[in-house]
Amino acid sequence: MSHYSSFRFMMEPKSVAVVGASDNPKKVGHIILQNFIDMGYRGRIYPVNINSTGRIAGLKSYKSVRDIKGSIDFVVIAVPAEAVPSVLDDCGAAGAKSVVVVSGGFAEVGNTDLQQQLADKAKKYGFALLGPNCLGVMNMRNHINTMFLPLYKFDSPKLGGVSFASQSGAVGSTVLDMVSNEGFGIAKFISYGNAVDLDEVDILDYLAHDSDTRVIIFYLEGVKRGREFLEAAKRTTKVKPVVVIKGGMSPAGASAVHSHTASLAGSYQAYEAAFKQSGIIQADSLDDLLDYAKIFETEPLAEGPSVAVITNGGGAGVLATDSIYDNNLVMAELKKETEATLRKAMPPIVNIRLPLDMAGDADDKRFEAALNAIGSDPNVDMIITIALFQTPGADSAVAASLINYKASITKPLVVVSSGGSYTQAHRRMMESSNVPVYSSPEQAARALAALYKYSKTRGAARKTK
Amino acid sequence: MDYMDAYRLISGYGIRTVPGKYVGSADEAVKFAAGNPIVMKALSPKALHKSKSGLVALNVDGMDEIRKTFSSLSRKADRYRPYKILAQQMVPFSGDNIEIIVGGNEDAQFGKMVLLGLGGIYVEAFRDFSLRICPITRTDAESMIDELKSSHVIAKDDRSRSMITDLLLRVSRMLTENKGVRELDLNPVILHGGTYSAVDLRIVR
Repeated sequence: MSHYSSFRFMMEPKSVAVVGASDNPKKVGHIILQNFIDMGYRGRIYPVNINSTGRIAGLKSYKSVRDIKGSIDFVVIAVPAEAVPSVLDDCGAAGAKSVVVVSGGFAEVGNTDLQQQLADKAKKYGFALLGPNCLGVMNMRNHINTMFLPLYKFDSPKLGGVSFASQSGAVGSTVLDMVSNEGFGIAKFISYGNAVDLDEVDILDYLAHDSDTRVIIFYLEGVKRGREFLEAAKRTTKVKPVVVIKGGMSPAGASAVHSHTASLAGSYQAYEAAFKQSGIIQADSLDDLLDYAKIFETEPLAEGPSVAVITNGGGAGVLATDSIYDNNLVMAELKKETEATLRKAMPPIVNIRLPLDMAGDADDKRFEAALNAIGSDPNVDMIITIALFQTPGADSAVAASLINYKASITKPLVVVSSGGSYTQAHRRMMESSNVPVYSSPEQAARALAALYKYSKTRGAARKTK
Repeated sequence: MDYMDAYRLISGYGIRTVPGKYVGSADEAVKFAAGNPIVMKALSPKALHKSKSGLVALNVDGMDEIRKTFSSLSRKADRYRPYKILAQQMVPFSGDNIEIIVGGNEDAQFGKMVLLGLGGIYVEAFRDFSLRICPITRTDAESMIDELKSSHVIAKDDRSRSMITDLLLRVSRMLTENKGVRELDLNPVILHGGTYSAVDLRIVR
């Protein structure tokens, strides 16, 4: 069995042991155990604590993993760093299949020898080890969650097709909390910390094969196996998009540099090159990461760079046009027939050209007529619809017509709507119906550019010069 | 690595360079020139930036010029001993000539990398370059060209585009096959009259 497939024992365990489980609510082990119970985990739970007196959180408890009779798919370890190696011996003796070490206190604080022991033991006993110094895993489908964050502090995202891997636990939990306010949902979350055993390569391979995962987003600071990462990324981007945000702009290197090339081509540039070469989309900020995840989850690939902008506000259309060109996309040129159809459908005050400014009194009928005409024009590859709900014409009927139209169109379509509570209500309506909504034309254009870039990687785009 | 050793290694991969020769005297340089204008350079491992140190003389034409240049280069290079003086054929000058850089470097994580950029002495100032991990494919090489702000300047037609693509593939192969080559600068590579010439090169082992 390939190493990456051991993630299944963590994501779909039939039995879980929590080492460091406790009745003391301040202990990390308590929070993890309680989260399993509260979220209705249906498999067997084995609380383990060396000081156990027989029951923890109402469940039969054990002094050691060795004392557990049944088979153990997954062990979550939350004990002080120095105690971890002997717990791993117990896991090995008990035949545990996978382990996550949540505890910190290893290489990140200079304890490299202690960390090496973890790597050695994982190898010796043949189980897959995630961590140390991480939050572990979350599977939205079956409510597996090893995070030691009290549930009330944290808005849980909904179930969706985006899987998220993060080297950093803090970035991981922050992004998940942010995602809960977005229109898309999460499939799997993996926080992998110091990566002594399972690393970026295993994670990519696992998520590439995971049928719940349609989009992969990744926060990474560095990879352990550069070449294999490059190959794994090439394999993965052939089947699903991977968006990466790279933390840490490493300096060009401490060793003396003799050539122009070496002074330009430092470690950060090497990562950028690897991302480009393997078809990974690089995000420049956490906002971009979420914006790209959103478009990749719902939208089909784009056949070309031509964008049509439909708007009920002139200024927003101008900004959208600027953003399209800033991101190396182009404004579509409508066919004569499309223009003729639009001329008939639009009132005389509307100029028939892109961006199509349908004026502030544009209602659902006008939106619908414009979308139908423009969406079926073969010169149009992608559509930005700007729906400003502050205008007299825009109301729930406009949102409904966008939702209806979205269900029928096979080209990428995004909506731009920003504003207060009235807008937010409609935004939620649209997003819960798989219409990606952005707050600004700039964000929409950047997301479309990322989509087009990936479409080219996949060979979906027409050959252009 | 010694210039002439690097020259032979590079040429062995079908990468076009300009013929050159170490000259021990002005007379040897005159003989090498055979009536044509030449380039003269003083090379020393201690002088990393030849042009900044005044160790490069372009378009040296005629016996008198060559003699004068030989002695002035020797004087300037004296503080970088040991040095050698290299005579090279001159690439025909034209207003259309464009200088690019093609290079190689080794990354601790990803290994050998190949670089393409708008070249010459301002390469660090403009920072218009693209980079890929070796070995590269033809598609990688093409995307390296497309990624540059100056892509239409350096690859102004299909012919120059395929020429640069080919050059990148050869450099990638050379870097991949020669484990000992840690850094490479072909800077500048001059694009002229439908061909190119790597007129200066440096390999760090």
